Amino acid sequence: MHRRTVIKGLSAAGVLAATGKLAAPAVAQGAKVLKFVPQANLANFDPIWGTQYVVRNASQLVWDTLYGMDSKLQAKRQMAESEEVSADGLTWTFKLRDGLKFHDGEPVRAKDCVASIARWSNRDAMGLMLKAIQQELVAVDDRTIKWVLSKPYPKMLLALGKVGTPCCFIMPERIAKTDPFKQIEEYVGSGPMKFVRADWKPGALAAFEKFADYKPRGEQADWWAGGKAVSFDRIEWVIMPDPATASAALQNGEIDWWETPLTDLVPVLKRNRNIKVDIADPLGNIGSFRLNHMHPPFNNPKARKAVQAALSQEDYMRAVVGSDDKLWKTIPGFITPGTPLYTEEGGDPLKGKRDYDLAKKLLQEAGYSGQPVTCLVAQDQGPLKAMGEITADLLKKIGMTVDFVATDWGTVGQRRASKNPPGQGGWGMFHTWHAGADCASPVGYIALRTNGDKAWFGWPDNAEIEKDISAWYDAKTLDEEKAIISRVNKMSMEHVTYIPTGFYFGYQAWRSNLDGVSNGPLPWFWGPKKA
Amino acid sequence: MLGFIVRRVLATIPVMAIVALFVFSLLYIAPGDPAVVIAGDQASLEDIERIRTGLGLDRPFVVRFGEWVLQVLRGDLGKSMFTGLPVTELIGQRVEPTLSLMVVTLILAVTVAVPIGVIAAWRAGGWLDRGFMALAVAGFSVPVFVVGYLLAYVFALQLDWLPVQGYTPIARGLWPWLENLILPSIALGFVYIALIARITRATMLEVLSQDYIRTARAKGMSERAILFLHALKNAAVPIVTVIGIGVALLIGGAVVTESVFAIPGLGRLTIDAIVRRDYPVIQGIVLMFSFVYVLVNLLVDLIYTTLDPRIRY
Repeated sequence: MHRRTVIKGLSAAGVLAATGKLAAPAVAQGAKVLKFVPQANLANFDPIWGTQYVVRNASQLVWDTLYGMDSKLQAKRQMAESEEVSADGLTWTFKLRDGLKFHDGEPVRAKDCVASIARWSNRDAMGLMLKAIQQELVAVDDRTIKWVLSKPYPKMLLALGKVGTPCCFIMPERIAKTDPFKQIEEYVGSGPMKFVRADWKPGALAAFEKFADYKPRGEQADWWAGGKAVSFDRIEWVIMPDPATASAALQNGEIDWWETPLTDLVPVLKRNRNIKVDIADPLGNIGSFRLNHMHPPFNNPKARKAVQAALSQEDYMRAVVGSDDKLWKTIPGFITPGTPLYTEEGGDPLKGKRDYDLAKKLLQEAGYSGQPVTCLVAQDQGPLKAMGEITADLLKKIGMTVDFVATDWGTVGQRRASKNPPGQGGWGMFHTWHAGADCASPVGYIALRTNGDKAWFGWPDNAEIEKDISAWYDAKTLDEEKAIISRVNKMSMEHVTYIPTGFYFGYQAWRSNLDGVSNGPLPWFWGPKKA
Repeated sequence: MLGFIVRRVLATIPVMAIVALFVFSLLYIAPGDPAVVIAGDQASLEDIERIRTGLGLDRPFVVRFGEWVLQVLRGDLGKSMFTGLPVTELIGQRVEPTLSLMVVTLILAVTVAVPIGVIAAWRAGGWLDRGFMALAVAGFSVPVFVVGYLLAYVFALQLDWLPVQGYTPIARGLWPWLENLILPSIALGFVYIALIARITRATMLEVLSQDYIRTARAKGMSERAILFLHALKNAAVPIVTVIGIGVALLIGGAVVTESVFAIPGLGRLTIDAIVRRDYPVIQGIVLMFSFVYVLVNLLVDLIYTTLDPRIRY
């Protein structure tokens, strides 16, 4: 028994005598409660309007999807009972599972799915592609959805079941009809847990209670696919901005599971026999050195190649994750290692000894004359701050002038959107990272796109890469996909769309009385059980 | 007296108006964009622009400020851009933890610091005085978060006497409420104790050298009565002033303390809102804190009159 429990017991007697009342319990006696510290604050709760990962992670509890991705990155049926595609590939017919209910007791109907798909397809890259070729999307009856396209779309199930944000969550029609650029105000889903709006204290607590009428699928849960049977009556997301506090709370048994422990604190947690620590997401993250292709010096391919020639991924990774070699590897490519499409085709510029002389020569050939490179470095994001410091040193070593803008992520987010020249509010480079789950294929991998003005920040422009990315969506076999992605990787390396700074993992930590915690791109709540 | 109170309360109106204009202008020119944060890392420029329009951030400064002022005059602080919840609800959720933390810290600090200051002055130059003043210097020098981590390490992790973090509302019982506040209050109160103890000592030293103290001693009055009945009462006005000023110190310190001990109070709400550029929340909190600070100053002025009958308004 903990000493605090004894003290509590003794003092409770005194308090009872003093106050003459029993303390009101927060939850029902005997309820199974899981206390989880998420990666960030759940500041809003609309997975279509706000596409941060933390919102998606919470949304998976409340809203269900028609399909869900398994650990082999295959989309499996979730709310859908069956699907049929016409011989010409133009008409998709989906049938819903019987007995699905929303948290307000209403049945899930096809019209709810139609409205939800319509809202999602206004915000998601694949959704927009589908919308562009959509002829008709209708509810045939309460359980049947018909989607007619003008062109076959082989990646349909992947679009509906992918984990990259925004995901196609199914909401009641009245909620799904909200403008996709405005926030919903009602949080009713058909997922395994209900959102407890009354307990929501943004920045402090988000609570979810078990939905008694949820019908999990019969199959074994596998990531987002299979039976999502949650063993807890209540899941509390306790927001802890300070990693040291979260670490102490986990050691003290005040919380059960911490999604993203700070690497520096992991050795302390590993020494505690009541705590288990493991890699959180096997798909990891890819660090990014994002260049501005629109303005000098990086509008010149030779200047981009100069940085690529000198950049040491090992330096970056050691700065980001420290000395734990299990946590990182070099990545001479753009696709997540360990996934079916992974390739190193054309990755030579990032392999072998780093060549400062070549970098200097390339810069000279690019006509670089010492103009400052504006580096936007977020100081409030550990990995980005670490990468920024390595970059400043690297650029100086190859003879570039560095304009180091130390700021916060909010400001980087705003300034990177500016297309002005660096001296007029624009920028030269910034760091970010991409979740490995988003980099396993072109689905949701907007950092790989090179559609110029319409591309992600940095606006790389290369029609050939774009053509191959489009071809990937039409590919029908894995071999075909692999061939296309090998070409994309080679061309992207040649074009220096961005420079990967390495591949790294993060840990998760939990109390040893919590069994069944598994890894994945997001925390799954349908495996763990508390002893 | 009533006239004074009314005048002071009315004087808060221009103060609040200036604060409102200042905060709104500052946020307007500050870098950062809530639409970018909401849209997420994968969003396109068009998505961000449409969210910005949805939030009304594309409208001119004067229009936005005017609308906000009208809202505030109706008692409506607006809605958070992120949560969609009313700012008054968000503030309401956080008032109890912060108020609890400040009240417990204030009680702890005054209870500990005033006797320390009095004893240090009484034994000026002695080892007790030097010891207390050395502690006071430490109190000023060690940051709140360091004290917080040390306390949590010793009393929560090592001794397992108190919880590391969190807050339990007082409605769930006195002890559950108090056990979450003990460590944060000590951490937050450390610098406050140092400040009040030093001011008390300095003021008491001056009072203890007065003729009437010597007269009291000559008449055979006990040291305790001299110190606490005569000297302390006459030294009280500067001490109360410092306690009042210290409320601002507490508000600032609460931001750090609430983060270290994961207390869901106004300090953390402020930080979260600033990081995300949640303008309505930042404006609402600053406005509320300004109002509280004006009220505390009014209260201090009123306490003067009871401590020193010569003071009249």
